[in-house]
Amino acid sequence: MSLKLKALLKSPWVFHLSTGSCNNCDIETLDCLTPRFDIERFGMLLVGSIKHADVLLVTGSCNRMSVERMKAMWEQVPKPCLVVAIGTCAGSRGIFKDSYNCPVPLDQIIPVDVYIPGCPPKPEAIIAGAVKLIEKVGSTL
Amino acid sequence: MTREEVLLDFTSRFHEDILDLHDKSRTRVFVTVTPESIVRIGTYLFRNVGARFNIASGTDMPPNIEILYHFIVEDINLLVSLRVLLDRENPVIDSLGRDIEALNWIEREMSELLGITFTGHPDPRRLLLADNWPEGVYPLRQDYEEWDETADRTRGI
Repeated sequence: MSLKLKALLKSPWVFHLSTGSCNNCDIETLDCLTPRFDIERFGMLLVGSIKHADVLLVTGSCNRMSVERMKAMWEQVPKPCLVVAIGTCAGSRGIFKDSYNCPVPLDQIIPVDVYIPGCPPKPEAIIAGAVKLIEKVGSTL
Repeated sequence: MTREEVLLDFTSRFHEDILDLHDKSRTRVFVTVTPESIVRIGTYLFRNVGARFNIASGTDMPPNIEILYHFIVEDINLLVSLRVLLDRENPVIDSLGRDIEALNWIEREMSELLGITFTGHPDPRRLLLADNWPEGVYPLRQDYEEWDETADRTRGI
């Protein structure tokens, strides 16, 4: 397990999953991957398939429809997989706490490793979160 | 046609169906019409006046449920909002989705979120809510109560 995690940290490939966000967090996440912020210098690469992913970036407040899809995806992720909750909605559901369509927060559905608060978080904050994730997991090995 | 000509033609043609006409500004007119006439008036605006259907919006305003159909007459830059007041206990209205394709999905959405019945809708399936959502529970009604016992309403973290 730890060897797999160690290998994963060298170049964590990320998969970006929106569970019903307003798209602001998605825009900022994609901003990180552009040359201006260039999160690829930490080895991070956006992949198109969940089966290639080491890190799952989750945005949005987990509505009833997308939760079912997210569970199906979580079963397909090659483990170990780290989960990053980007934005206030993914962290604590934000203003959608009492919404009829958002019954359960993200961290009660799948285990979350890092929370990046903000509405939306700045790309700098997302990069800081990514670095903290690598440091946190690296220190446990 | 100018704005005045369009409005005059419209009001003279449907004067029996129009309950109230509120000329809010140069670009905005609210017309309250009877529910029975909505198909006639809507298709007339769409086909004969050449208006573009923008969106419809439903609101629960006790004792009524209100639907606003927004039509834009682009030549004269006029937004005509047809307002329909329905009985809250039994909200039934004829479907415009048969005649105007763009109303198909918004009528499905209003029917599941507010419980409005659109008679003659071509495809009255559920659109947005989850499959395990109970029948007869309408989340955008004012008296909506939490039904899901597994729901967690705390901050969590």
